[in-house]
Amino acid sequence: MSERSAASGDSVFGASAFERTLDHRLPPRFIGSRMRLLVLAALLGCVGTFLVMRWLAASPALDAVFQAGPQGQLVLVGSDLPALEDRIGQHLVAVVGADGSRVGLDALALQRAPRWQVDDDRRVQQVQQQEALARAFAGGHATLVFADGQQLDVATPARGYAGLGLLFWPLAALALLLYLIGIVVVLVRPQGRNLLYVVMTLCQAANLLFIALESMRGLGLPPGALANALMPRLAFDLCTAAAGVHAFALHPRRVPHANAIAAAAWATTLLVLLLAQAGLLPGLWWFAQGTMLLLGTAALLVLSWSYHIEPNPFAAVMRRFGGIAAGTLLLVTVGVAVSAGQPGVPHSIAVIGSVIWYVFFASLLLLVPFLSRSKQVLREFAMLAGISTIATSLDLLFVAIFSLGQFTSLTLAVFFSLGAYAAARQWILNQMVGTSVLTTERTFEQLYRVAREVQEQPTRYAALLAQLLRDLFEPLEAVRVDRAAAQSLVIGGGSAMVVPVRTGSSDNPNRPPLALVLRFAHRGKRLFSSEDARLADRVVEQLRRAVAYDQAVERGRSEERQRIAQDLHDDIGARLLTLMYKAQSPEMEDYVRHTLLDLKTLTRGLAAADHRLSHAAAEWKSDLTQRLTAAHVQLGWSFETDRDVRLSVVQWSALTRVMRELISNAIYHAQATQVDVTFSLVGTQLTLSVADDGNGRDPQAWAHGLGLGGVRKRVKLLGGEVRWRENLPRGIVCEVRVPEFLAKS
Amino acid sequence: MAVKVLILEDNPVARSFLCRVVRESFSDANSITEAGDLETARRHISLAGGASGLHGVDPFKLILVDLELPDGNGMELLAELTHYPATKIVTTLYSDDDHLFPALQRGADGYLLKEDRFEVLVEELQKIVRGQPPLSPAIARRLLTHFRHGSGNESAPDSGFMNTTGFNTSRPVPIEKQPDHERLTPRETEVLTYLSKGFTIKEIASLMGIKWFTVNDHIKSIYKKLNVSSRAEAAVLASKQGLV
Repeated sequence: MSERSAASGDSVFGASAFERTLDHRLPPRFIGSRMRLLVLAALLGCVGTFLVMRWLAASPALDAVFQAGPQGQLVLVGSDLPALEDRIGQHLVAVVGADGSRVGLDALALQRAPRWQVDDDRRVQQVQQQEALARAFAGGHATLVFADGQQLDVATPARGYAGLGLLFWPLAALALLLYLIGIVVVLVRPQGRNLLYVVMTLCQAANLLFIALESMRGLGLPPGALANALMPRLAFDLCTAAAGVHAFALHPRRVPHANAIAAAAWATTLLVLLLAQAGLLPGLWWFAQGTMLLLGTAALLVLSWSYHIEPNPFAAVMRRFGGIAAGTLLLVTVGVAVSAGQPGVPHSIAVIGSVIWYVFFASLLLLVPFLSRSKQVLREFAMLAGISTIATSLDLLFVAIFSLGQFTSLTLAVFFSLGAYAAARQWILNQMVGTSVLTTERTFEQLYRVAREVQEQPTRYAALLAQLLRDLFEPLEAVRVDRAAAQSLVIGGGSAMVVPVRTGSSDNPNRPPLALVLRFAHRGKRLFSSEDARLADRVVEQLRRAVAYDQAVERGRSEERQRIAQDLHDDIGARLLTLMYKAQSPEMEDYVRHTLLDLKTLTRGLAAADHRLSHAAAEWKSDLTQRLTAAHVQLGWSFETDRDVRLSVVQWSALTRVMRELISNAIYHAQATQVDVTFSLVGTQLTLSVADDGNGRDPQAWAHGLGLGGVRKRVKLLGGEVRWRENLPRGIVCEVRVPEFLAKS
Repeated sequence: MAVKVLILEDNPVARSFLCRVVRESFSDANSITEAGDLETARRHISLAGGASGLHGVDPFKLILVDLELPDGNGMELLAELTHYPATKIVTTLYSDDDHLFPALQRGADGYLLKEDRFEVLVEELQKIVRGQPPLSPAIARRLLTHFRHGSGNESAPDSGFMNTTGFNTSRPVPIEKQPDHERLTPRETEVLTYLSKGFTIKEIASLMGIKWFTVNDHIKSIYKKLNVSSRAEAAVLASKQGLV
């Protein structure tokens, strides 16, 4: 656990948050009991849904489509029953049941959700109307009384599965899906925060089932279906809101006084529910909406606070989602309130609005666990949310306004929603996950630039990679950890990403594995997705390739240099040797020997890539000692450097030749008895002085032949200067000074 | 009694030059046998008692071997002559330790650089025959690594870069523990360390506070151990390959 402590020490945002992200790096696998629990839960959900369907299918109903008339009448607009076909356009005023009870009807019969009934009296009236209808239809047939006084006896058989309506199936499926996702989330990681999520999903799934129930076409619902719908739906709504506040107080970061905030939210909910149950709240709808909006605002405030404390992009994204949900809720509330009491079309639209809002909210809930999984998944869910919302709304609108058949309206709705989604897709995505500032062009440019830099300086690989990742993802924080990772990984629900920088090698304990943890992408405004992880992997791969390429090129160069060196040494060296042995005069012999030595220096320089200064100095000293001893000259050697650097081939061969040439001069031309060599490399400045006590005089007057000219040339190559002056009491001093020796490398 | 000398050198000019060096070095009347390739050299050696020199019929006392020869490398001959009781000297143009260290491991007692002046060569040759093996700083470094790691192969120098590209060579861990007689004494290690830094024998003697010939003894001992350890290595290798 050493890496964790090291990492948490580096984190600016507090140790606990960091440990949490690292801890949850790998989700526990589904094994054994959990898998069985999931299967059981899925089975239960299916059975439950099926029971609801059975219950609905068994209830008697009148298979006809009605619409609200301008004065609040109930207008028959279509029916599959042959007896009703010629009554289309008539106003239905009452239904007489088989037992003789008469139920007066108006457009209120079309409004199903007591939860969304603004007026208390109308809610009671509506529920009574539906209950009476259920009783009237229970006998198997009923008499319809129209406004013109005509009566028609029709059969009211059980609705049957086919009569559940086209809207029922998708809503029930969505409810089931939501329920399953909730179960999966809590089973993957059973902990408090996820329980809150499950509370929200279960409440919304139940809400969706209620909406599905209320979407039945025609007249007639099971007895008690609406009478008992008010309190559960109110409870579901308020519990969802309270759970939301509670969840955001804990996640992504526990805010101060989280418990108090959660307690306040739950207490408010409980209070409203108890008062509603006791019937102490006149204008119940207003209280319900007010409480929901209050809790929604509270949730957004908590999120903002949490983001302020720690800019986790999860909070930013959730705030965006929450803002949209609360905003639409407000709009729906206003719409319903304005249209309340106005019979006819406007009211229908308002009612539809509430349904749309529930579907939309359910889609958002579905989306939350998948935020960081992949943009692909995100896109799919965004599409699902958008399409289902728009399709539902259009479907209901068409049914309500244009009195279209259900099938026609559904086709049209799907067509329009697909078009609308295609047009607004990019905008929706940007709104949901934040915009990425880096264009493809810029990404490519940066990757290319860094790859080139890495090729030039492979040792800076880790630093350059870190810099590139910072530029790409703009994280608020990048922490190095000693942890091996096979590939990039998104952790902490998208708030952080681990990118492997290098793998450790067992034979080199000095290079432990290294990974980079990037936290809070795009300055805490965006979540990491698994696509980001793949991109990071590609970047790492690309840079590694650049380095490997560079190494291959260097190997190729080195092999070629060695081949040239080998050829030069073997062929030209052997010829020069023969030439030397056959030299006519000692001068000629020395000259050829000198050439041979230069050739050997050249080939050694070619064959070796670089030389340590300390090693080179040892060779120089040993070589000079041998040569000077053979010529019976004393060597005074002083070598000083503050660090051991690596000499490039050029530097090594230049210094070697300069030194050899100067010593040769001292031996053969000056007939010295003592040579003092002083070498120092302090900072970046190199100074070399060779002083002899020979008979040389007046160096300014020298004709610079091949030897001294060579010295000048090589010192110039190193970027320095050389000068000769008379030594005291006798001899010559040659001083070489290279101010920026190390910078030239 | 004349000292028998074998000179193996393919370049005739160089060969006659080396003959002059040998004659100059030893005042004794010496008989010099010249060979231009490995084949000829082997024939001469078998005539003079075989590669092991056990028959004792007047073996060569001094053998000069060039490395690059028309029919092979002088190293081969050195390897064959590990037990031959002669002073074996490599004469070459190669002064880099990549060529010379293997020669020393195969039992060469010294090396001469053919481009050196006549006088220098004579002096060096006399030194070697007197038992002063050559030591350049680079060879001293190689020796230190050799004895420290227990085997000839040096670990690859740290490139300063991580092993991410996948072609990392996992260095085998030497399983056999080095026998004690192949280890260097602290004194010997010290001598080698000084040598690797370019100090002369005289300087080392004064630095360590001992006589220069004591330093020389240390160096000779190091060479003996080098040969022993090389032979031990060869034996281990042979038994591993089922040759013994």
